[in-house]
Amino acid sequence: MSLVIDNISFSYGDRNILRSFTLQVPTGSTTAVVGPSGSGKSTLLRIIAGLLTPTTGTIILNSQDISHVPTHLRSVGMVFQDNQLFPHLNVYDNVAFGLRMAKVDKRVIAERCQGLLDLVGLTEAAKQSVSTLSGGEAKRVALARALAPSPQVLLLDEPLTGLDNQLHDRLAQDLQRILHATSTTALLVTHLIPEAEVISDVIHHLVNQSQQEGVGQ
Amino acid sequence: MDRPMVSHSSSVTARNYRLLAIPAAILVLVTAIIPLVVLSTTVVRSSDIISIWQNSAVQKALVFSVWQALVSTIFTILIGLIATWYLTRYQFRGRQALIALITVSFVLPTVAVGASFIAVLPTWLHHSTFAIVVAHVFFNISIVVRTVGPRWNSIHEDLVNCAHTLGATSLQTWRYVILPLGKSAIYSSAALTFFMCFTSYGIITILGGPGLATLDIEIYRRAVQLGDLSGATVLAVAQMLFITIAFLIWSRSRSVELMTFRVSAVSQRRLAIVPKIFIGAVTIFFLAPLLALSIASFHSGQNWSLSGWKVLLGIQNQRGLELDIWQALQTSGKYALIASCIALPTGIAATYALTKNGSTNSRWSSLAILPLAISPVVVGLAILVTYDFAPFEFRSSWFLIPIVHASIAMPFVVRAALPVVQGIPAELRSAAATLGASPWKRFCLVEMPLLRPAITTGVAFSVAISLGEFGATSFLTRRESQTLPIIIADLFGKAGAIPRASGMAASLLLVIVTAIIVLSVDRKPRV
Repeated sequence: MSLVIDNISFSYGDRNILRSFTLQVPTGSTTAVVGPSGSGKSTLLRIIAGLLTPTTGTIILNSQDISHVPTHLRSVGMVFQDNQLFPHLNVYDNVAFGLRMAKVDKRVIAERCQGLLDLVGLTEAAKQSVSTLSGGEAKRVALARALAPSPQVLLLDEPLTGLDNQLHDRLAQDLQRILHATSTTALLVTHLIPEAEVISDVIHHLVNQSQQEGVGQ
Repeated sequence: MDRPMVSHSSSVTARNYRLLAIPAAILVLVTAIIPLVVLSTTVVRSSDIISIWQNSAVQKALVFSVWQALVSTIFTILIGLIATWYLTRYQFRGRQALIALITVSFVLPTVAVGASFIAVLPTWLHHSTFAIVVAHVFFNISIVVRTVGPRWNSIHEDLVNCAHTLGATSLQTWRYVILPLGKSAIYSSAALTFFMCFTSYGIITILGGPGLATLDIEIYRRAVQLGDLSGATVLAVAQMLFITIAFLIWSRSRSVELMTFRVSAVSQRRLAIVPKIFIGAVTIFFLAPLLALSIASFHSGQNWSLSGWKVLLGIQNQRGLELDIWQALQTSGKYALIASCIALPTGIAATYALTKNGSTNSRWSSLAILPLAISPVVVGLAILVTYDFAPFEFRSSWFLIPIVHASIAMPFVVRAALPVVQGIPAELRSAAATLGASPWKRFCLVEMPLLRPAITTGVAFSVAISLGEFGATSFLTRRESQTLPIIIADLFGKAGAIPRASGMAASLLLVIVTAIIVLSVDRKPRV
């Protein structure tokens, strides 16, 4: 198992958002957690990324307890719901950001970014300002950026929300293809079961802080 | 797309809107441009244009002006940026009070700020570069908070989170995300701070001393004490040209951020211990001088005493100190009232001219920030020289002072009103028009109520600026109609414990009045 979420609870004030949640994400596969809004899906991803501290429980990534490791050292990539592209950087610099933080050699960065931009179909857009991108393009940049530092696990927060139907279906398939091509271990949260079915290998249902497991596809 | 809707009627009214700039243009023409042109063309002896720069006092003043302004700007930006980050991104107890305190510090009368630092610093630091720099930091941090704050405030928390998930440390996030996103606002506030410190006058009148004179002080000394009007004018014009050219170059290369007076939303995150200590230190930095000022006003020498207040209020007589504080209060109040009555309508009208039906003309709105950087001392001197011959012999007329105050306050009114006017959707006017409202009714019934926050802020800042104005007033003041800041500077110029205590008391009085006025409109920053 690549990612093990063990007995995680989280409450905000008096409100229990997650209660003793446990989940295992197999290496190289995409797992989806499906649940209605307010069921704690985004909270779960934030806890895994280290952006929120759980009340109890541990997170184990590739046999290492990362519960107390700060976010920037976790090797956890994340695609945020509204992309969060850096508005002051162009497409290429957005994708290169994580590699630059890790002080990777310039030539290696160029190679890797080029490869990723090819993969997401944005080869021509490298020098473009992110403010000029369409919704689908922005999502692809966010995906390429999160993949660039080769994270041990990729978290996707409602990755296809806000896209029109046609684009939604196409991007869902692209996403599945890209995750497969890069053998990325990924955890996806969404409120749409069909979306989860297209993208992921395993589906978990998150309902009212209790979970049931079902297998998709 | 944010393409503004262009209708036939808007292109017609655009011209009318531009006409609204006329009162502001007249005000600037009468109080700044004509006097400066007259000044530079009449009293200058051509020999002075070169020779004045060989004068060692002038050289020293020039060097000191530049380097104290540089040091002050660096510290203001460093401390200001960290404070801004915590104030705009975190929720903590006393946050709003601290924002209010920082806001008030910017409109406090400069002589009162000087007096506060005399009160809080040990005697051996009273007339030192250190004191000047610290007072400048105190005075100008507000510029950073108010300029960079709204920009950083709008950064989504997840953008910062995202940088962390990509492996960026806190320091890297600052360097590659937070600072670049605030870049233009940071440059704007740095430039404005530099100009403010470079032309600092009131603070240096109190905290300066031998070898610690800026160009403004040298201009005043030459014009008033040495009677060398020609030399003073060369310096004044040179300073004006330098600031204007520097400003134009700088504003061409980047968009000028306009200072806004509100710092809004924050996340619910709590402060860690080190930031808490930092915020505590900043709070003490802003409170201590004001507390020390209050204490010092009740001290005469080493002992507790009411003499300072008694002499100030005319209850106790002191030889050589003939004060008429009631007269000064009356004069200050009258000037403030007239100044705001002129600055408010002129400024609001100018704002409409600038926004031209919703879209801001950035070139002109960047000019609205320029008067802030022009030295009031130079303006005072220019007016003194210009309105000295028939039929314009106004130099001894009392009404010249509130008019000058109005022209100094007007940019503040524009800055307060600009975001508000821009925020009024054009469709709202159209909707009122389709409901049968005439242009005048549309203004009175739709726009006026929406403009109210801008009007109250504009009035408060005009009054505060007029009450504290010292640079121009020091040239134009008459013995029988002195304002409070003039009296304070006089008191600090006199030897002895009692004049000093009275000076502290008068400063405290001015601080309290200013703070009440500003806080009454700014006490509830939107959260």
